[in-house]
Amino acid sequence: MTAERPTALIADDEPLLREALARQLAQAWPALEIVAQARNGREAISLFEETRPDVCFLDVQMPGLTGVEAARHVGRRAHLVFVTAYDHYAVQAFAQGALDYLVKPVEPARLAATVARLQERLRAATPATHTEALLLQLSEQLARLQDRSGTEPLRWIRAQVGQTLRLIAVDDVDYLRSDTKYTRIAWRGDDGKPADALVRTPLRELAARLDPAQFMQVHRSAIVNLRAISHVRRGENETADIHLKNRDEVLPVSRNFLHLFRQM
Amino acid sequence: MSAVILTDRPGGLALAFNWKRVAFTLSFSFFWGALFGLGWNSGFWSAVERFVGVGLVAMMVFSLFEQWPKRMPRWLPRWVLQVVAVAASVPVVTVTMWIWSTQPGAPPFWEVQERMTGFGTLTGFGIFMSPWVALGALVRQKEALARERALALELAQSEMERQALDARLNLLQAQVAPHFLFNTLANVQALVDAGSPQASDVLRSLVAYLRAAVPRLNEPATTLGQELGLVRAYLELMRMRMPDRLQFELKVDEAALGLRCPPMTLLTLVENAIRHGIDPNEEGGRIEIEVRRYEDRCRVAVSDDGAGLQATDRGLGTGLAALRERLELVFGDAATLAIRSREPRGVVAVVQFPARAEAR
Repeated sequence: MTAERPTALIADDEPLLREALARQLAQAWPALEIVAQARNGREAISLFEETRPDVCFLDVQMPGLTGVEAARHVGRRAHLVFVTAYDHYAVQAFAQGALDYLVKPVEPARLAATVARLQERLRAATPATHTEALLLQLSEQLARLQDRSGTEPLRWIRAQVGQTLRLIAVDDVDYLRSDTKYTRIAWRGDDGKPADALVRTPLRELAARLDPAQFMQVHRSAIVNLRAISHVRRGENETADIHLKNRDEVLPVSRNFLHLFRQM
Repeated sequence: MSAVILTDRPGGLALAFNWKRVAFTLSFSFFWGALFGLGWNSGFWSAVERFVGVGLVAMMVFSLFEQWPKRMPRWLPRWVLQVVAVAASVPVVTVTMWIWSTQPGAPPFWEVQERMTGFGTLTGFGIFMSPWVALGALVRQKEALARERALALELAQSEMERQALDARLNLLQAQVAPHFLFNTLANVQALVDAGSPQASDVLRSLVAYLRAAVPRLNEPATTLGQELGLVRAYLELMRMRMPDRLQFELKVDEAALGLRCPPMTLLTLVENAIRHGIDPNEEGGRIEIEVRRYEDRCRVAVSDDGAGLQATDRGLGTGLAALRERLELVFGDAATLAIRSREPRGVVAVVQFPARAEAR
């Protein structure tokens, strides 16, 4: 065995927690030398390249790059231990992936077990076990958990109003029409008066994410909020027009969507 | 709020010949036909036949004027038309029947005493009875409609109650944030382990935060002063957790402290600014809270110079959507929530609502 002390990197965006882990490690593993402390994922990567520690303790939630993303960069060049606050999903994913992880606040017994496992691996010179595929899967899983927009109906639309970007509540939207490059959103502004906004998202994509109980596609290029409809007037030749509350413009109903407005 | 839709009423022939109506007409006219049939000159079944015939025609007339014409002149209520038409239909039908049943070559029925008796009986009875039956049917219809309306109203009320409950539930979910709690506790533990004198201050902030957050579940509205206390405690805790990344400032108009404010209004905005503005930003940022009272309106603005709306995509808006619901529940249309990007960086969220003193 070499006389060289094992080295470690700690990455956490909360300074108190970085220090706490360093202090706890000093007790549980006096031989371990903390060679770097990083404040975010990006810093973790550059400090890793600089110091090449044997072990990396990575907080999962960090600004910029997450701990899992930093871990993908490190790969099998170091033993990894993930650190997370109470977080059911992440913890489940770590357990399933047979990855080492600690839950904040870190319990001494749990830390001792992790340290024993790491010491064993370092002594036997076992290569780090995590695989790229597992980490990739994990980082995708975490991203999905954070972005649940795919499953829930859209509640806010990020749109350009004049020079500013705004969040518009879908409840305030009267209708949406596709423009050549944009989707035009007709909504009621802060004073309740009609206003216009633009988004780059195509109408088709928005249609899929809007709540079908509230919004109805009435034309290839138009979606209307049911609550904004004042009345529907049938025209000749299988067409109809939608008249809106508090708005002068009229929306067309194309033949394919006319059945939605048949008299009951 | 979703509209409550009255159950579709059938129209056209389905309404005119619905089985209940036909069955009632048949049995009612059969009953009277059979009763009169016992002493009927031309036999039992002849009487039944004629009574049922008159009944059916009266029913059809009733049904016809129930739907036609579509619009009634203002001076003539539909029910009057229906009742009069039903009564008037009776002699027309009986005259037709008696003419039809006259044998070829026989004298017209009004010259035959026996036949005249039957004619007179059915016509008189019909004219007397049919308006009452028609009126009875109309009253029943009115009652059914009233019941339906009452039911729809009840439905609408329960829908509103459900929405209020939903808003409460969302509030509950917004509050139970174990991630925040455990992370903060991990920090407290770190301070205690290090023997830091800061530990006691932080614990005090945590207690203030929890005390302000926990009993609010059952209160429909709190004061802005209480909200500010909660937010201050929350921000102190966050500053302990990221001392190098978070600055904040509160500019508060003293005149606004006693105003009514739905619970967690300010906290939701500040949490949002931290989660979507400061947290994802490596450099962190600064949060400004401004509370102003203008005569009868109150304006609360929370701004940050963090990551900005462009970068916000994750789990955006559930907290804000719940806040909108709570504001609507307390203030109706009188409250607004606007969220926009800020130059050169960051986001500003503005809530405006009527200035009402908390009634206590």
